Amino acid sequence: MRKEILSIIGSGVSLTRRAFIKVSAAAGAVLLFGVEKAKAAVKWLNPRAVQNAAPTQLDKGSKTVYSVCLACNARCGIRSVVNNGKLVKNSGNPYHPYNERFEPIPYNTPVKDTLKMSSAVCGKSQDGPNYVHNPYRVIKPLKRSGARGSGKFEPIEWEQMIKEVAHGGKLFNHLGEDRVVPGVKDLNSDDPINPSAPELGSVRNGLVFIGGRDQNARKEFSDRFVKLALGSVNRIGHTDICGIGFRQGNMAFTERKAVEVKADPLGAEYILVFGANIYEALQPGVNTYEALVAKRSSEGKLKYTIVDPRATNASTHAEDWIPLKPGQDGAMAMGIIRWIIDNDRHNKEFLSAPSSKAASAIGHACYTNASHLVIVDDKHPNARKFLRMSDLDPSVPKEVGAAYVVLTKDNKVSAFDKVDSAQLDAEAVLKSTAGTEIKVKTSFRLMKEAVMEHNLDDYAKFSGVEKAKIEKVAREFTSYGTKAAVTQYHGAGNYISGTYASYPVAMLNALIGSVDRKGGYMKAGGGAAAWNSGLYDLKTFEGARKLQGPPLSREKFAYEKTTEFKKNGYPSKRPWFPFSHGGLCVETMSGMDQQYPYPCKIFMSYFFNPVYSIPGGYRYIETLKNTEKVPLYISIDIAISETNIYADYIVPDLTYLEGHYGFLTPHAPALKFTGIRTPVMEPLTGKTADGRPFSEETFLIDVAKEAGLPGFGDNAIKGKDGKLHPLNKAEDFYLRAISNVAAGAKLPEASQEEVDFVEQNYPVAKHKDMLTEKEWRQVCYALARGGVFDRRYEDHFDAEKHKFGLGRVAIYNEELGRTKNSITGEYFSGTLKYVPPTTPKGKVMAEVDKDYPFTVITYKMNLHAQARTVLHKWSMEVFPTNYIEMHESDAKNMGLKNMDEVKIVSKSNPKGVKGKVKLTKLIRQGCIGVSNHYGHTQMGASRVAVRNAEKVFLGGKTVADSKGLIPNSRHATGTQFNYVTRLDEDFANTPMVDVVGGIPDFSSTRVKVVKI
Amino acid sequence: MDQSGNDRRLFMKNGLIAAAGVITLGTVSGAAEAAKTKKYAMIIDLNRCTGCQSCVIACKAQNDTLIDHFNTKVVSLEDGNYPSSRVVYTPVQCNQCENPPCVPACPLKATFKLANGIVVTDWDKCVGLGACVPACPYGARFLDTRHKGQVGGKVDKCDFCVNRLEQGLMPACVEACASKARLFGDVNAPEGEFAEYLKRTDLVTPKAHLKIKTSIRYVPNRRSKKGGSL
Repeated sequence: MRKEILSIIGSGVSLTRRAFIKVSAAAGAVLLFGVEKAKAAVKWLNPRAVQNAAPTQLDKGSKTVYSVCLACNARCGIRSVVNNGKLVKNSGNPYHPYNERFEPIPYNTPVKDTLKMSSAVCGKSQDGPNYVHNPYRVIKPLKRSGARGSGKFEPIEWEQMIKEVAHGGKLFNHLGEDRVVPGVKDLNSDDPINPSAPELGSVRNGLVFIGGRDQNARKEFSDRFVKLALGSVNRIGHTDICGIGFRQGNMAFTERKAVEVKADPLGAEYILVFGANIYEALQPGVNTYEALVAKRSSEGKLKYTIVDPRATNASTHAEDWIPLKPGQDGAMAMGIIRWIIDNDRHNKEFLSAPSSKAASAIGHACYTNASHLVIVDDKHPNARKFLRMSDLDPSVPKEVGAAYVVLTKDNKVSAFDKVDSAQLDAEAVLKSTAGTEIKVKTSFRLMKEAVMEHNLDDYAKFSGVEKAKIEKVAREFTSYGTKAAVTQYHGAGNYISGTYASYPVAMLNALIGSVDRKGGYMKAGGGAAAWNSGLYDLKTFEGARKLQGPPLSREKFAYEKTTEFKKNGYPSKRPWFPFSHGGLCVETMSGMDQQYPYPCKIFMSYFFNPVYSIPGGYRYIETLKNTEKVPLYISIDIAISETNIYADYIVPDLTYLEGHYGFLTPHAPALKFTGIRTPVMEPLTGKTADGRPFSEETFLIDVAKEAGLPGFGDNAIKGKDGKLHPLNKAEDFYLRAISNVAAGAKLPEASQEEVDFVEQNYPVAKHKDMLTEKEWRQVCYALARGGVFDRRYEDHFDAEKHKFGLGRVAIYNEELGRTKNSITGEYFSGTLKYVPPTTPKGKVMAEVDKDYPFTVITYKMNLHAQARTVLHKWSMEVFPTNYIEMHESDAKNMGLKNMDEVKIVSKSNPKGVKGKVKLTKLIRQGCIGVSNHYGHTQMGASRVAVRNAEKVFLGGKTVADSKGLIPNSRHATGTQFNYVTRLDEDFANTPMVDVVGGIPDFSSTRVKVVKI
Repeated sequence: MDQSGNDRRLFMKNGLIAAAGVITLGTVSGAAEAAKTKKYAMIIDLNRCTGCQSCVIACKAQNDTLIDHFNTKVVSLEDGNYPSSRVVYTPVQCNQCENPPCVPACPLKATFKLANGIVVTDWDKCVGLGACVPACPYGARFLDTRHKGQVGGKVDKCDFCVNRLEQGLMPACVEACASKARLFGDVNAPEGEFAEYLKRTDLVTPKAHLKIKTSIRYVPNRRSKKGGSL
């Protein structure tokens, strides 16, 4: 009988009535035992029953939740299957454009029809079960039980920890530390932080909160605590190490409108890739951008060229790989621009359109300021600014006076918005009505002059790319009309002088006119609806503080406004960064170390591992160990890391699978949507007496209440109807936020079937009573689909024009051109400029460290994100370690063989780090590649003396014994290059940063390779 | 949405087991559906494979294979001379051979091929002799030491996620392949892009010199001299 069932199922015959009648014995078995038992009788049919295989969404007892991933920041959808309280499987969300190569299923598809649909998500996401259930997770709050940095911890009761953090005091008296530790309450004062420099703000700024992998909603939740409730300006992100370099160039190009701009992977015919690891690490990620590029390239619809010191995985389908010298993206781009101008291949019609109206008339959604006149007379009070009509005639009405000025074809001046076309490459001396002569040049002329400072041979030399190859790429790039664009990312500018490397890369798109066009260079379209306003005001509250003073990082603040400047002039003690996108965690840490411009009192880190993740982060070990520089350090995290081993308290947090509510808007390019992240399973951390999970939110709420800060507790959230609502638990904030999105996007109410789906599967449903029935049903419509994805790709365009585009881009950036270098006191160039990687004190790294023959570049792998993915067990099986990757000819010259043990040493770290050499043809000669995910000393890699460790770690006795955490050698493999990165001896030996934007350096460190 | 061979509805329409149909057996009346024999196959287009490893992790997640062992892997190969060098990726797994050499190698007849093309193991019969492991010319089989001495679970390899197929789901690796490098379906009733690919004349079998007919075939990487690790 069993055999007959086998033959039915094995033949693939459906068990329809006819089949059963034919094979009556089998039918009999089914009728007798029921289909489940009949199936159980044939184990091979489900061999996984023997092997603990994952139940699927269709198995009994499975709960399915559509949410958003956070294995990296790409923001893809996930379909999570939870069975018996355990996350068993992540796959994609078929409603989400990022899981469906920009073309998802119709948004109104009933959710029941989607459960059998295939939908892809990358390997990082699929390792989610090992992340959330990781045995090394800390689930109880810890307080250090030895000297700072001794690595000794003991559990502390939640309530006690809240009291200690809120009130401070002699918290470590029992360890022999007599000092009084400041509490949050002590910083709740308007006393100046430095009475002789009032511009620095109040003592509130003494709280420094740095968020690592923070996203929308959780970020604002911490803002609510740090900025609004306490009033510290120091809630700092980590954009700098995320890749602020290319963002700086885009920011200059877009005049701050967007920092992420990319080639359209669905519409482009040619993509020129600068420093973007598009097959491993881009945002949108592996299952989106990469998948689209690969699929379209296989169909012959798209070609791409990689400009990078490493060939990257994308070399597999690339038209060409151009092995670039590290730090020379700008040289390559300026070489291409030189060729384009010399060969008259730029889109002059587009560049000559001086206004939005004029550009629109010729089919463009965007215009440039290429034809706008810039005052180049240094003595003019408005020098380096755009010439305005009022500069020529102060008597014109205000609205006319503000207009930019262009030269018409017949050499007359005109307001930019009054002509269809203007002179592009021109200069003139104009006379104002007062008779003053004003020397002006067009933006294009200024840009061109900067490019012409060097010829193609120079650019070939700087970039290390043969002249013929630069020409070939330039010709290719200009051969697709506007269906070509650049995709630049982390690598294109993540080094000192990176702003001037990535600006010319962005400029390439303006030259061919592909900005804001289908198939061109586009920003993201934004979210589907606001989450922090609408039905509930989550932006602010009564009694919210106003911020004063510069952040510790000195970002977005001019040195010239300080007392220090008035006293000392140039140079400043450390650089200031008025022209920065911000999020400078590196300079915040360095500011903390140097107590500049003022000292830090309390440091809170969230999901942030600077010692490991910052190039040169090892320097901060001495900062964090120092209780004068960091009087109180609280880490909110899921595990013990290389950084929070120096913490005073460790607050256990949730992973993105049990918490991290969020509203995830798209990355560039093009799309407009809001993914909604809610928990897919119940929290695994401990709980407070009233049942809330230990987490960032619970911590901040409880500290705020204990310290008497506003904005938390009862009556903290104002409804549209004027009613006040409490903020005592995370959901009080986030579920109302979801309701804002659902109402703002005008979603329909979910069907009863979908309401049931949400209520039976989604943990957040148990809080539904805080919403009205109508609000909840609307929320269910969004939750059942994992967000609001109500636009098709085509809906983002008006013919070829991007509807949510930049509108205008800058060939000359007035703000940058008017900003001064706080070290030299000189103006920065407002347009392109060739600058090799140079320290703020003017040292060119390639020259000062020329005795160190190799330049190191790091990169992200497809199965890793940052420090945390060492917890991804399956990924670590696929790639158990990393290597010191070296060109085979370099290795041969040194007599090195594959897998030889070596160490790499830099001037800043002569002890160096060890690793194994891997020979490759996929890296430029003279370069070394090291992926950025290995060489851990914590995250389970070392023993940590934690009292009652079996109760502190999620894995209990599997990872802990009476001496604490048991080390796992699988977590300690490989090499972390950040421990060798060059430091800047001119600035207290802290990590090198770029003087314009505060870009940390990932590409300029030179090393020696020493055989062990 | 494209109408690829990995059409989500493929299995809803042609479910291997219509479980609901079985349960309602007593009440369904009318003409019975025609029985249709399925034969599963996979085509892997190396012009689409990005080496992302998503299929490898999906397989791990679905099949809980022994630590450091995989039912599918992605082999990478450096091809060409610098600077015209590139990497080429080739996903590999059990090829579900037409005449599988592993089958006769088992003295207990514990492993055999189903009419639908999938080579499976009878877990009641397998005692972990391991004779089939070296018999596989592709190295697709391995002993799962966790189950030594127990019934079942002694030798593991890819089975196209037969348990998922039974539920009307795609194999985990196919679902995870965002660039659609893995095309999967029923050769007797192919649909969408899978059907288009079946017609291609440039399909190759792995280790072609062995002249084994396999259920997995490849489109070589056209930019690579070697085409892949084939």
